[in-house]
Amino acid sequence: MNWVVELVLRVVAVLAFLVLTVLFLIWLERKVLGRIQMRMGPMRTAPYGVLQPVADALKLMTKEGLRPQGADTWVYHLGPVVAVLPALLVWVTIPFTGSLVVQDMRLGAFYIVAVSGVSVVGMVMAGWSSNNKYALLGAARSAAQMISYELPLVLALLGVVMLAQSLSLGDIVAQQSPWPYLLLQPLGFALFLVAGLAELARNPFDIYHADTEIVGGPFVEYSGIRWALFFMAEYVNLFAICALASLLFLGGWKGPLLPPILWFLVKTYAFVFFIIWLRAALPRLRIDQLMTLAWRYLVPLAFANILLNAFYLYFELPAWTLSLASLALLGVAVVPLYRHWSGRAVVKARLADRVGMSKAESQA
Amino acid sequence: MNGVFRALGTTFKTMLRHPVTVQYPDEQLPVSPRRRGFPRLLVDPEVGELRCSGCGICARHCLTQALKVTMKDNPNFAAGKSQRKKIVDKFELDVGQCTECAVCIEMCNSGGIEMTKEWCAPSTSRQGLRRDLAQQNGSAEAVH
Repeated sequence: MNWVVELVLRVVAVLAFLVLTVLFLIWLERKVLGRIQMRMGPMRTAPYGVLQPVADALKLMTKEGLRPQGADTWVYHLGPVVAVLPALLVWVTIPFTGSLVVQDMRLGAFYIVAVSGVSVVGMVMAGWSSNNKYALLGAARSAAQMISYELPLVLALLGVVMLAQSLSLGDIVAQQSPWPYLLLQPLGFALFLVAGLAELARNPFDIYHADTEIVGGPFVEYSGIRWALFFMAEYVNLFAICALASLLFLGGWKGPLLPPILWFLVKTYAFVFFIIWLRAALPRLRIDQLMTLAWRYLVPLAFANILLNAFYLYFELPAWTLSLASLALLGVAVVPLYRHWSGRAVVKARLADRVGMSKAESQA
Repeated sequence: MNGVFRALGTTFKTMLRHPVTVQYPDEQLPVSPRRRGFPRLLVDPEVGELRCSGCGICARHCLTQALKVTMKDNPNFAAGKSQRKKIVDKFELDVGQCTECAVCIEMCNSGGIEMTKEWCAPSTSRQGLRRDLAQQNGSAEAVH
């Protein structure tokens, strides 16, 4: 019986932590974006506006939940639940420290990949059932995006799993001494970060929200607590990807002087800050650019990364060879990407387009 | 691709700078000394009464119809202290309507209005935006 009580306590503790984290992330994002835009961000609700997300949450909870007339009722109501559940379930096996975890599964990494893949179903359900063209477009985009980027994400994770020879996140962190996998796997880290950003649909990959094109995507018809559930799912996913990045590549809770939990939070919040920073700095990609990046660059690179790891493990080479090879591959990969996005040929073509357009205008 | 790094650099630099906004209305940014504010009525120092006769020419020419003027018989005239037969009774300004264009000053025949620097007059009610300038003259700093 004791273990049941302990498990329930752990689940409740993690849930409480996640709710508080979501509130804090919303506040942090608004503050950081505000400072980047040379504003103050929220200031009115409590000192430095720290209670602003609480006020927002209360507002959303008391707001009327509208449902469009032609909506598919059951699917419409289930959509947010299906989206938020996988986001929460992932946290069952993500460790904060060696002992602070709900359940350190032996197949933890596999479990995370399997469960997080379900959230796309929630998006599609929401988009389909809303009986709204923008929501449907958003749902189609989210399905395309999440399935495309699931592949490089999982393959990048596989590289780490190969090195650690374990699917348990606790073991993966334990293996990262003295050097974190970031040094052994710079290419894998870059792949994980880019694919993770796309999975989160954060800038520059917020294509299925795309407020300026499809007014919020799958959630356009949602309001009140259901909309808040989608919002919560997004922020929990954001924190999960950042936590995974710190666990898989930066050694998780390992570090000198500070207590382990603090190291975990510091590393995770460094990623969170980076992602918010990207949101302020970068414009949105087009859907074709998104697909090109995934299938022409990230997937082949992820396979190359796995091959590299296989060679390293099979021939039992020294660690520095893997670091160098991974770094070299990353460098090599940047060249065609650079040529594709902003190479001389692309710039010339753009200029030619512009000249052609101005000529056509002058003739008209 | 260079643009990505440039964008990251620029945003990081702006993040380290001080915000340009302030906690209005607790704090207010200084306004330009050349900025015009709402009008006010002037007092004739020799007699100690308002110069405005309440003729209402300003109200007729006000572009946003922010003024409402009524006149009355001047008690000082009856007492022999003043040359003005009529004087302003109520000079109601709706600060929510006033665009501070100074047409009222251009139109005034008796030189009884001038612009002040006061530009901020918040209120929680519509009625709070209406003020009787005949009652509160000389309260705001004038533009010279």
